[in-house]
Amino acid sequence: MNAIIISALWGIIMMFSGIVTSKGSALRNAAVLGLLLLLTGNYLDLIGYHFFPVDVHKMLFFDSFGLLANTIIFGATLIYVLLSGREIENIAARMPVAECFALIFFVLCGVSLVTTFNTLLMLFIGIEIISIPLYILTGSDKRNLKSNEAALKYFLMGSFSTGLMLLGIALLYGASATGTFSIDDLGVGKANLSALYISGLLLLLVAMGFKVSAAPFHFWTPDVYDGAPTVFTSFMATIVKAGIFIGFIRLFDETFSDSQARWQLFVAIITAVTLFIGNITAVFQQSVKRMLAYSSIAQAGFMLLALLSINGLAKEGILLYAAAYSLATIGIFAVLIKMKDYTFEGFNGLAKHHPVLAATCTIFLLSLAGIPLTAGFFAKYYMLAAVIETGHFLWLVIFAVLCAAVSVYYYFRVIQAMYFKDGDAQALELRPGFKGLLVVVAALILLLGVFPQVVLDRLHGLVYTW
Amino acid sequence: MGITQILFWVLSILALLSAILVVISKNPVHSVLWLIAVFIAISGHYILLNAQFLAIVNLIVYAGAIMVLFLFVFMLMNLNSDTEPQKNKWLKIAGVVAGGSLLLVLVAALKQADMKGQLAEMNKGDIGLIKNLGMVLFQDYVVPFEISSVLFLSAMVGVVVIGKKD
Repeated sequence: MNAIIISALWGIIMMFSGIVTSKGSALRNAAVLGLLLLLTGNYLDLIGYHFFPVDVHKMLFFDSFGLLANTIIFGATLIYVLLSGREIENIAARMPVAECFALIFFVLCGVSLVTTFNTLLMLFIGIEIISIPLYILTGSDKRNLKSNEAALKYFLMGSFSTGLMLLGIALLYGASATGTFSIDDLGVGKANLSALYISGLLLLLVAMGFKVSAAPFHFWTPDVYDGAPTVFTSFMATIVKAGIFIGFIRLFDETFSDSQARWQLFVAIITAVTLFIGNITAVFQQSVKRMLAYSSIAQAGFMLLALLSINGLAKEGILLYAAAYSLATIGIFAVLIKMKDYTFEGFNGLAKHHPVLAATCTIFLLSLAGIPLTAGFFAKYYMLAAVIETGHFLWLVIFAVLCAAVSVYYYFRVIQAMYFKDGDAQALELRPGFKGLLVVVAALILLLGVFPQVVLDRLHGLVYTW
Repeated sequence: MGITQILFWVLSILALLSAILVVISKNPVHSVLWLIAVFIAISGHYILLNAQFLAIVNLIVYAGAIMVLFLFVFMLMNLNSDTEPQKNKWLKIAGVVAGGSLLLVLVAALKQADMKGQLAEMNKGDIGLIKNLGMVLFQDYVVPFEISSVLFLSAMVGVVVIGKKD
């Protein structure tokens, strides 16, 4: 509860701070302060100090899985604001920075609802609180036609998928004997799965699949991620996606785990299609930003493996994956924003002019590709191990590994451009603080990759005691 | 046949007829007007089910606010038969097949659903009364109720961000 209330309140504070000052740096500092507060509040919640003893009538349930996910998401947001927050002012002239930060805090409120919901009602409200600010952030570059198009597309498709989700929730409500939204009571045994229940399950699966851009519901992703201002693409592709994934897994773990055998094959096919389309299409992209959009689809495919094999390993793994993926992608987007040219050619010879930028960028890309000694490797390892533990779907594991091999090609194209091609890559001015922070993020990724047990042991204890 | 039953049949026929007219009307403005008729008929059904609050909200939100939005959009887009795009025949067929499949699945699901014993309570039952609704809303559902304010707040901030003059 701490996180939900603090994020909503700080959103309001950010909103009104626009009256006091329009200076970007002051607003950014306020946002960083708010995020630190959020992190502390969430941590205190995790160890048992609740600031707001509210009777939530079982609408929300604060377990360590959800609160840990919150910690990762708030931490990632902190790094995001520190690295890229400055760019919000540069999107357009006279950008309403305070309002943008307010919207970011509201999204975080939605994310903390989605990670701790206990009824489908709260899931729905959480998803909506995430979506509506995102539509606006996507279209915040008002003079840019591509941004407008992306926002409209996202809005129309997103509303449609929300409609499907509501229909699914209504069908599940109808299928439950007592008429309940609670995800514990909705989970029925294997035996009495009515057709109504299965239709509801499928509609929810489709709607959530849309929100995490799983194929074949991914068509909005490349256009929206490409059209949105790069700062907000970074936010959408990492923090929001990770948050919704946690909710996705929570929903299927609590409600549908009994009927797992019925939907598992369906999820396996979605996963395979997502991996295939994401990776193969990414190979043909000319723009790094668009490549990263497809790469985020491919990474979603990997995260879907956790959904497929809901077990202890999967739940640990998804937290690790969320951390590894968010860190690396926020880093790579932070570098991308500084580039003048978003194509692969724009990265030619970056290593000569900006060695620190190129080196950290390489670490982020290696982590995304899942090369050992980076966090991405262990994240991918956990996903695959979770599937193997279920004892089925070995074909999917092999397919996922092959797809990861394909992904190496397009990630390494950037590395190749930076180190082995001649050119004069143009970057905007870089401050030493920015470089230092990039190095810290890269070090974090390496640390997670070399000493994963530091984090994993604690994670293991917390997830299993849950 | 009591008055309730007569009303039920009249409202049902009105709703279905208007719904069909929404789809087959050539002029979009006529479609919207028929849609209002559908909403009014459905509100009548709610009143028959003793759900006054739902009936009024349905009238205010759908027949009122959303219809005005629809008409606004038509006005801004200036739709008439000249500007109507020629749709591809195959696209139409694909749409029919896709929509029909969804209908088939949902009808099959609803057919199997066991709805016996949950028939609508006519003329009795007080769940839909405003008093009871308020009690439930501010006791059991107070958390979602309060949290949805964040949703509206973010929508308002969004309007400012999008609509502010540069």
